[in-house]
Amino acid sequence: MGNSIWKDTWLITARSIKTTLRNPFSFIPNLMISAFFLLVYEGGLSGISQLPTFEGANYLAFILPVSIVSAAIGGAGGAGQGIVKDIENGFFSRLLLTPASRLAIVLGPIIAGMLQLFIQTLLIIGIGYLLGLEVATGFGGILFVLMIAIGWGLAFAGYSAGVALRTKNAQAAQAGTFIFFPLIFLSTTFVPYELIDAQWLKIAATINPTTYIFESMRTVLIDGWIFWDLMQGVIAIVIACTITITFAALSAKKAVARG
Amino acid sequence: MNGSIEVKNLSKTFKKGNVKAVRDVSFSVKEGEFFAFLGPNGAGKSTTVQILTTLINATGGEAAVAGHDVIREPEKVRRYIGVALQETGVDPDLTGRELIELQANIFGFSKDRAKERAVELLEIVQLTESAERRIGNYSGGMRRRLDLALTLVNEPKILFLDEPTTGLDPSNRMAIWKELQRLNEEKGTTIFLTTQYLEEADSLAHRISIINHGEIVATGTPKELKAQIGSDLVTLTFISDIDSGTAEDILKRQMGASEVIRQSEKLTVYVKDGAKQLLEIVRILDGEGIEIETVNLSSPTLDDIFLKITNDQEVETHGE
Ligand SMILES: Nc1ncnc2c1ncn2[C@@H]1O[C@H](COP(=O)(O)OP(=O)(O)OP(=O)(O)O)[C@@H](O)[C@H]1O
Ligand SMILES: [Mg+2]
Repeated sequence: MGNSIWKDTWLITARSIKTTLRNPFSFIPNLMISAFFLLVYEGGLSGISQLPTFEGANYLAFILPVSIVSAAIGGAGGAGQGIVKDIENGFFSRLLLTPASRLAIVLGPIIAGMLQLFIQTLLIIGIGYLLGLEVATGFGGILFVLMIAIGWGLAFAGYSAGVALRTKNAQAAQAGTFIFFPLIFLSTTFVPYELIDAQWLKIAATINPTTYIFESMRTVLIDGWIFWDLMQGVIAIVIACTITITFAALSAKKAVARG
Repeated sequence: MNGSIEVKNLSKTFKKGNVKAVRDVSFSVKEGEFFAFLGPNGAGKSTTVQILTTLINATGGEAAVAGHDVIREPEKVRRYIGVALQETGVDPDLTGRELIELQANIFGFSKDRAKERAVELLEIVQLTESAERRIGNYSGGMRRRLDLALTLVNEPKILFLDEPTTGLDPSNRMAIWKELQRLNEEKGTTIFLTTQYLEEADSLAHRISIINHGEIVATGTPKELKAQIGSDLVTLTFISDIDSGTAEDILKRQMGASEVIRQSEKLTVYVKDGAKQLLEIVRILDGEGIEIETVNLSSPTLDDIFLKITNDQEVETHGE
């Protein structure tokens, strides 16, 4: 009797995926918002890429990272929502009462959230191609962008799962996802850093780790393999993941501990 | 491994609000016994269940379930128990069948065995017809029955049921009672059940502990608890609660505080020799000019025992 931790993780992850698929409204709005960035801003703002600062880059490649990061953050947020839902309807306790690995119980929804993120990101890139996306670094560049999206999503999944496990409350977890807005918009979202006028927005963009994510994605999409420009995204991810995953792990420990 | 529960000086103080939910509780349940924990709201029933089922840690004392310490060996305990908490624990997005199969898989059943188990259990809790529906669309009673099925998946040696019939209609309640009795009699499953319903404890349990304000105030078989009171009951009703209040005062002066309990216009008097003292009571009240509406002589039910014990406690605490 009893399973390996792998089997437990698989069982609980598979169930989270099933649950997500049965609630299309848990991911469709986010997917629409992400597609909206691409379609609307590409259509409406692409004129600004004629400005000299853009150095002839096409606006689609410039705005694509915004759309991807939005999809990634939304997908990763699903992890926290899944956990909160389980806690609220008592299923989390039911799982804790079984011999299942405690790690698997927390990891299942997180892995499912990451998978959701991965698929959403692929879809967005697909839409990008349909709109005529050209990537300076080709297929390798797309892989790099995917990797960055997953890394950044993981950081956000850690954050959202941590908030969920700590507050155990849907409203609080929902409120926690509002960090999405400053993260996405107080950055080089629509124009390059040099074109930001307001000093406060410049400061915000400098502090906001998402800026470095955008920059590294844009580098591979538009300019090519420029090592240090890419590394800033990787470093931002490593730092953010370290913080949020520690936070999630501590919260998880508290949630499954028997205080 | 055995199907027993041993609890010694168990205590739980919640940091939040500094609530002493369980105070120095000790009891033991033998393998195959049907044991009921009876108490009002906030008595500490659920807290005890959560400690014994490894969900929370006690702040004092110790407990062994199925022969394993709940704090040091929670994984072992979890294998042998089935638990239905006060709130059901189901995923509304799965179907009944899927959830039972998942639970079986988590307990290490093979795919085929899990499928078989789901068929058996759905039949037992009479949910075969709704097996393919999402649990989110189940009624409260159906959810409870499914929850019970989930607790049975691993053929537990010991079942913990926290108010399993609260909020159920009589037919659903009957169905659950029957199933619990069957499990206890045919499979020898030890059952630890909490309830606020005295008739439930009375008709199901071999032994009952009454818990109030986190303390066990009485333990025994239903028969013993009835004998503990050692007396008959005279129940009087009056036209108004002013009358019953006056009557209470008069009778208390004659019989001692713990023997008379008033509930608005109703008075319950515990007496040694019913027939003789009934007449005496009527004579006294008549002499004081208090009009009695109805008089009734009966032997005590668990309800009365519960009322008396909790009342005795209050008299004690107020008397301190
Ligand atoms: N997590 C908690 N934090 C703080 N206090 C708690 C917590 N859980 C329970 N309590 C308190 O402990 C006491 C006992 O609660 P418990 O839930 O064990 O009672 P119960 O007998 O199950 O009552 P009911 O019949 O209403 O379910 C109550 O005063 C309750 O407010
Ligand atoms: Mg309770």
